[in-house]
Amino acid sequence: MADILQILILGLALGGVIALMGSGLSLVFGVMRIVNLAHPSLIIGGAYVTYWAFKMTGVDPIVMLPVASLIMAAIGVLLYRLMFERETKSAKYSEMTVLLTFALAMMVEGLLGGLFTNTQRVVSPDYATDAFFIGDLFIPKGQLYAGIVSLVIITALSLFLKYSRLGYAIRATTQNREAAELLGVNVNFICILAFAIGIGLAGAAGSLVSFVFSFFPAKHWEWIAMLMSVVVLGGMGSILGTVVAALLLSVIAAFVGTWIGATWSTLTFFLALFLILLVRPQGLFGEKPEMA
Amino acid sequence: MAVTLDQSSASAVVEARRAHNEKLARKADQTRATWFPLAVMAILIALPLLQFTGNYNYLLHMVLFTASHVAMASGWNILGGFAGYISLGHSVFFAIGGYFSGMILARYGISTIVTAPLAGLLAAVVGYLIGMVTLKVRGPSFIISSIALLMIARILFDNWELIGGANGVTLPVNDLPVQWAKIPYYYAMLAIAAFTVWASYKIKHSKFGLGLRAISKDEIKAESAGIDTRFYKVMAFALSAFFVGMAGAVWGEYLTYLRPNIFLVILVSANLVLMSILGGKGTVAGPVIGAILIVALNELFVATMGASEINILGTGMVMAAGLMFFPLGLVGTLARKGKLPRVLNWD
Repeated sequence: MADILQILILGLALGGVIALMGSGLSLVFGVMRIVNLAHPSLIIGGAYVTYWAFKMTGVDPIVMLPVASLIMAAIGVLLYRLMFERETKSAKYSEMTVLLTFALAMMVEGLLGGLFTNTQRVVSPDYATDAFFIGDLFIPKGQLYAGIVSLVIITALSLFLKYSRLGYAIRATTQNREAAELLGVNVNFICILAFAIGIGLAGAAGSLVSFVFSFFPAKHWEWIAMLMSVVVLGGMGSILGTVVAALLLSVIAAFVGTWIGATWSTLTFFLALFLILLVRPQGLFGEKPEMA
Repeated sequence: MAVTLDQSSASAVVEARRAHNEKLARKADQTRATWFPLAVMAILIALPLLQFTGNYNYLLHMVLFTASHVAMASGWNILGGFAGYISLGHSVFFAIGGYFSGMILARYGISTIVTAPLAGLLAAVVGYLIGMVTLKVRGPSFIISSIALLMIARILFDNWELIGGANGVTLPVNDLPVQWAKIPYYYAMLAIAAFTVWASYKIKHSKFGLGLRAISKDEIKAESAGIDTRFYKVMAFALSAFFVGMAGAVWGEYLTYLRPNIFLVILVSANLVLMSILGGKGTVAGPVIGAILIVALNELFVATMGASEINILGTGMVMAAGLMFFPLGLVGTLARKGKLPRVLNWD
């Protein structure tokens, strides 16, 4: 019983981080219909920002989070203006953007690899290797803090989307682009904003990832299918769905990892992705069959 | 006066249309520079004679490497170009071909050149089965599912002890002198590439190819026009897997070892996509031109800058630039402008 509880705790803590990693992906798809395959590589970009800040000045990754997030958001604006804005009128928009983000992922990977080599890195503040003990259970502090921080960020994001005027506009654009435009929403601005927020979330996730996982530039290929499975299961565009799916899948993966073997725990995500796409392509919380 | 459309006049119309189409086809045939691909083939077949005069192993290697990519990109083009289903998981079939023939070579000593068609067939069967499942979704979902497929395959191959797991298998080296060691693979790969291009031409000009192109334009309309879209798509998937598998089989023996991190990486698939798009998706000559361009560019990057990271960066940049500025590819863009040289018009 204690075993099961222990696995559950570890799964949930990781799930929180994965939820944050996936939420930006989900937002960008929801508003712009861009399946951003470059998202994990940009997360790694954020992780490197945090890594170098920690290495050079010893600044705590969680303190560094807003900075990393802003830097990545600025990069996001730049990328959107340069690469994606011009594609909005393309007939094969969604396929085109998938391939473009794939190319972008390779560019980011190559750039980071060229600059920082493919060595495994990890940021190690004191709490990263520490843990709380409650009876027989142990809760690694790093993962716990990361999980809490990401849930706070996601809550803030949801509140912003729900109650602010810009949030209204973003949700309106998600639901119906043309109608939003007719009602006076500056759709292009909203797209830039949502893309910036999405990539900013990638930067924030990068700060947390930097001390939860070890990372190197080529690692994003492992994450893309994992994040895709979370986002697709949750229903692309639904933040709540992403959170639920992330917690669910990472708990399942934790159980698979403990009972069957660590190799197979990643397989959980890939198989889940495969099955969801085939059985219910719109995901748990999605209602848009156009993905199919 | 009412026009009566009785049986005889309807068949006369059909007859007239057929005659007209044949006339157009004859005209296209007359302007087609068939001699060009044949001449290129003749030169490539004669190329190994250079070995009598010195060591041209590097040149042969480059031709062989290009030929393998011509075969794979043209194979990919059947699904990705003709039918419009972009797959980023085709390295799976490359691996299946390589491992199947490679394991037979390791166990029974039968050359992969002999078993390559069987390897292709196995890849096609696997492709057919996978296609039955994944081709239910289209657009971005299909692309994502193909990446998931690649990830699943990688984990399976990495952990399958029978085929060496992550460490892979070493294959026996043939006992020809160094000068001639590449020749069998050279001719085999050349034959596979030529066969693939020929098959891709034949497919494009068949009713099947017409159906695939209809699917890529608008699948729902194609379906309502009476095309069995599901069967067409799955067959296209199987066929494209067939050619990639054959190329993989010979490539494995040529390399003399099999390892998941050589065959089952996304970069292999990405290169196929890149070649087809840069050359011209959905055209016969496109993947060939794309393969030559990308291999040359790759070689240039490696020669001038070395590091593989820079290579990835360069590949990504070329891909992005190609997508943004020439979405139709070289052949497609030139054809649209009516400036496609006759020697490159293989459609």
